Amino acid sequence: MAYKNLQPAPGNVDYINKFKPDFRSALYKTEVDVEGHHLSGLLLIKTLPDSSIRIVFANEVGFKFFDFEFRKDGGFKVYYIVKQMDKQPVIKTLRKDFDLLMFRNGDVKASFLRKDDQNLYYIFKKQKGFFCYVTDPGGKELKRMEISSPRKPIVAGIMRNYKNGIPDTIGIAHENFNFTISLKKIER
Amino acid sequence: MHKIYFLVLIVFITADVKAQQGEYAPVKDLEKFKEQFTAVAAKVQTIKSDFTQEKNLSMLSEKIVSKGKFWFRKENLLRMEYTKPYEYLMILNKDNIYIKDGEKESRVSVKSNKIFQQINKIVIDCVEGEVFNNPDFNTTAFESKTSYKVELSPIGKTLKQFFTNIDVFIDKKDYSVTTIEMNENSGDNTILHFTDREFNTVIPDAVFAIK
Repeated sequence: MAYKNLQPAPGNVDYINKFKPDFRSALYKTEVDVEGHHLSGLLLIKTLPDSSIRIVFANEVGFKFFDFEFRKDGGFKVYYIVKQMDKQPVIKTLRKDFDLLMFRNGDVKASFLRKDDQNLYYIFKKQKGFFCYVTDPGGKELKRMEISSPRKPIVAGIMRNYKNGIPDTIGIAHENFNFTISLKKIER
Repeated sequence: MHKIYFLVLIVFITADVKAQQGEYAPVKDLEKFKEQFTAVAAKVQTIKSDFTQEKNLSMLSEKIVSKGKFWFRKENLLRMEYTKPYEYLMILNKDNIYIKDGEKESRVSVKSNKIFQQINKIVIDCVEGEVFNNPDFNTTAFESKTSYKVELSPIGKTLKQFFTNIDVFIDKKDYSVTTIEMNENSGDNTILHFTDREFNTVIPDAVFAIK
């Protein structure tokens, strides 16, 4: 089982929310590599007045790839997705990846803290598998994030250089197939 | 109370849209306009221009603005270089497209991408004055005091997926294209404004060279 070799650690799992990004409105230069295909564009993450978060991905010349809504109650809606990407596994994967980086742990079955010599692990057990946020023992730095199957990590993510609650650099990489997303914040 | 505000807002927005459309009436002498536009465009060998691109996300009340430089030379040579707030370069040289995005370079054939092919055709048609002859669209022309608006409605399924219509704005003074507005089904749109337009200056081959 994933995380089974770690030691229990004292503390409050909610502490991890200090790294939860505050995406009021952030625009990222974005590179997506999937199974040999390269997509580049701009990703906008914006919180609307009703607290829902919209994520829109379009290329540099304005051609839209997708427009997703993440509701406050955990709901999710596809407002638009280009035909070539309109496949359930693609949408599901993207939704989960974004859930991880927005700390959307709504359907958590249980949460616990674990540690080893180098790190603290904030683990959220989901329907299938886990979301895990890894910090240094002092909880000062978010080292990485993971989505795990019941057995092992399958997605690794990073968020670095927070400014006003918004990370400047975000990266997501899948272990079981060739799929990476990298985001670099654009100052407007 | 909210409902009333909302209604008032809707009325204002609708009124505003009507007012804008109200300035445009169907072109009286369509044949003459087509003739003149085509004749002027025929004389244009090159265009050099600055551009501003606005991506409007209506439901998000968000506008993503980018700027850059535009070069065109007959036939079928186009370079669009985005400089702010990100760098992105696209060169169309006959049937080949070169894209430089940061450190990544890619080359594709226009023929391999139907939608790219059709959008490129719109831009090229606009500057070459062939916009009325594009079989992919129904065209309607309107005019105001200062400009013409050519409304292109896609006929084919592929383009209909992306656009309700594409509006091309043409300056009455010199028959040059000032704005291209691509309207999506969702209410979002992408607007390209061309400013500081220079015609028929010499643009060297190197500008359009695909390495």
